[in-house]
Amino acid sequence: MSRLQSPSALKRKRPDSNSQGMTDQESVVYKLIHEKENMGIWVRDIKRSSNLQDTIVNKSIKTLLDKGMIKEVINVQNKTRKTYLAAEFEPSPELTGGAWYDDGNLDVDFINAVKKLCSQKIKQLKVATVESVMDSVKASGAFKADLKKNHFEEIFGALVLDNEVMEVESNGMGEFAGIKVGKVCYKAIGKRRVGAAAAAAAAAEPRIGAMASIPCGVCPRISSCTPDGVISPGTCVYYQKWLDF
Amino acid sequence: MVSQHGILYAVHLITNQFGNLVAKVCECLLRNGALTLQAIVRRTELSPAKVRNCLLVLIQHNCAQAFILEESVSGEDAGEPGKALTQYIALFVNILHRVRFSKFMDVVSKELGGSCGELFRGLLEHGRLTVKQIVDRAGANAKESTNTVQEDLGKLVMAHYVECCPAPEPLVPPPDADTKKRAKSSKVMVEPLTLEQRVMAVAMPSAMRRFSFVPNADQVADDQQNVNQPPSKDVGEKRKLHDLESDTALEEEVECNWRANFEELLRRLRHKTCVDTIKVRFDDAAATVLSAMLEASRAEEDKVKTANSVPLSLNTIYEEVVKNEKNHSMTFDHVRTCLEELSCPPTFVKTDDESYSIDFTKITEAAQSEEIESIVLKRFGETAYKIFRLLFRAGCLMETDKIADRIFAEKKETSKTLFKMWQDGYLLMEKLVVGGTTTGPSYGGSSYLLWKVNKRLLRETILDEMFHAALNLNLRLAHEIDQNKEVLNLPPDKREGPDKQKFDRLRNVRLLIHSSLMKLDDAIMLFHDF
Repeated sequence: MSRLQSPSALKRKRPDSNSQGMTDQESVVYKLIHEKENMGIWVRDIKRSSNLQDTIVNKSIKTLLDKGMIKEVINVQNKTRKTYLAAEFEPSPELTGGAWYDDGNLDVDFINAVKKLCSQKIKQLKVATVESVMDSVKASGAFKADLKKNHFEEIFGALVLDNEVMEVESNGMGEFAGIKVGKVCYKAIGKRRVGAAAAAAAAAEPRIGAMASIPCGVCPRISSCTPDGVISPGTCVYYQKWLDF
Repeated sequence: MVSQHGILYAVHLITNQFGNLVAKVCECLLRNGALTLQAIVRRTELSPAKVRNCLLVLIQHNCAQAFILEESVSGEDAGEPGKALTQYIALFVNILHRVRFSKFMDVVSKELGGSCGELFRGLLEHGRLTVKQIVDRAGANAKESTNTVQEDLGKLVMAHYVECCPAPEPLVPPPDADTKKRAKSSKVMVEPLTLEQRVMAVAMPSAMRRFSFVPNADQVADDQQNVNQPPSKDVGEKRKLHDLESDTALEEEVECNWRANFEELLRRLRHKTCVDTIKVRFDDAAATVLSAMLEASRAEEDKVKTANSVPLSLNTIYEEVVKNEKNHSMTFDHVRTCLEELSCPPTFVKTDDESYSIDFTKITEAAQSEEIESIVLKRFGETAYKIFRLLFRAGCLMETDKIADRIFAEKKETSKTLFKMWQDGYLLMEKLVVGGTTTGPSYGGSSYLLWKVNKRLLRETILDEMFHAALNLNLRLAHEIDQNKEVLNLPPDKREGPDKQKFDRLRNVRLLIHSSLMKLDDAIMLFHDF
């Protein structure tokens, strides 16, 4: 529209727009989005609840985005769903995935960094509780993110699954002196050798079981293998490689 | 019930050592359970004489046992009503022991010395021998005097490495009476014994007779028997039992055939595995303490799969530790510290009022978990390893997304890995539909996949795969030898260039496969026998 207009041609306020410059349809859509606060709403849910035509909803959303009144966020639970939030709200952890997600993707580097630091702290402390490591990590100022106790519990759980630390219960004696009886603690896993033996153990490959050290133990075709079949010990290419000195 | 590959592996072992005919009879018994002679003849289509000879070989080498069921016989083998028929059952466990002879020899030789080891070797080779046969063999091989041989045999019997053979055809009572008696005296649910266990429980002589060796008494009995019976075969050749249907009254009362006591040997190997497991998880000091506890409580152990050792005081354990010269430097406090560490969860050593006992079940389970996790890591990767450890510890169903969150993995990758593990039988999967109708989520509901590790089923799957792997190692070795038989037949001075390379390669192949078989057999024992 040209900015050069006669007074008679001044655009009158459209009868169907409100004080914020939204049409009624845009207002309906905005209200639905705003109501959901930080949980956000899926575009299909907007269409279902508003009973407006798809094209109108899509157009309204585009207008509201252009005005900066709403924003699109990635729903980590379902990345293909377009989810919208009112601009003034920060997306909830359920939408973003929480501290461990960045832009809808798992922040592997950050997670690994936290795991590494926690593992080091546990080794230093010999016997560590979640609280003791959390305090130590926060005091070091290593991470900007505000990690809570539950975040550290999740990390410790992951370290246990990695077989780097083990979960034990304090009995209040010996190395657990000073820790309440029954309190869950963590210890680094590793042989308590000293000197040359420790260095040797540290440098050594992790122990491989009997089955895992032979071709059959890790073969994806073992269920099809028979003594005289197409796949057999005699024809097996994995055996061929294994015995190729 | 023996798994499919367990049977194939056992049959392969018997084939290698005794030939196809004996293996055919053995396979028939393994697949069909206990059978009479006529039933075996019918199934194998061999002549009765051949089947009989095969059974004699299997019995001589403790791979089969004859017995008579007390209840009246019915079905295809029914003869006169109430007439009891001799049946035969294959002893799968004893067949597996045949690959462990070198391990058994190691145990005996280390503890009792070379001459006992040599005597013991004869019993392993021949299956079972009378005292006269043992003496004759020792005299022929090493010129040992009768007294020395009897002394060595006495040591072996005292250590329970050698036992008196079971009764040739025991009368086995019906299972109801036996199970009720055990259930009455036990406060927990009693798992019914297998037929093999029932037969062997009845066949074994009393503890006193089983380990009672009187030097020269058997010699006298042998002389008496020899007067009545034809002379036996030359010493040194593999033997078969005499006619099973001959008058055995004199033999049962006077003569005892002696054989290796696999139970005791298995117990020792179990101890060794426990010590090795502790050594890996803790250190040498903890392993030393555990070893001392095992030695101190050895006499009280009455079966292989004992759950706990007898309680021992700290003083008793310390005294046992320092008995060994190598451990003289270990202090009382150091021993106490080791015990405290072993008592922390997962509690390999239980404490109760200042006494300590070993929890064999926990140690065995820890070793089994380590083996399974090693397979999962190598076969399916790191994500699968974490998933497996999570589900194994949880012991309950878990939803896909929850698993992904706990292991910090992308949901898509987690889902893919779960399916792969499920397809190979490592996980159980259940589908949960919430809301909608039963016809599917498209009608408004959501479906979730839940995953779980069934520990018992998983151990059975792994064990069957181990038998399969052991069979494959044997078959591959046979294939390699067959492919290179020309090189093997060449005299050493004629092996040059490519032939020498082939020969060297074959030697390395043999070494690698044999050592892998021994290691795999340790794992089989862990899952099957311990």
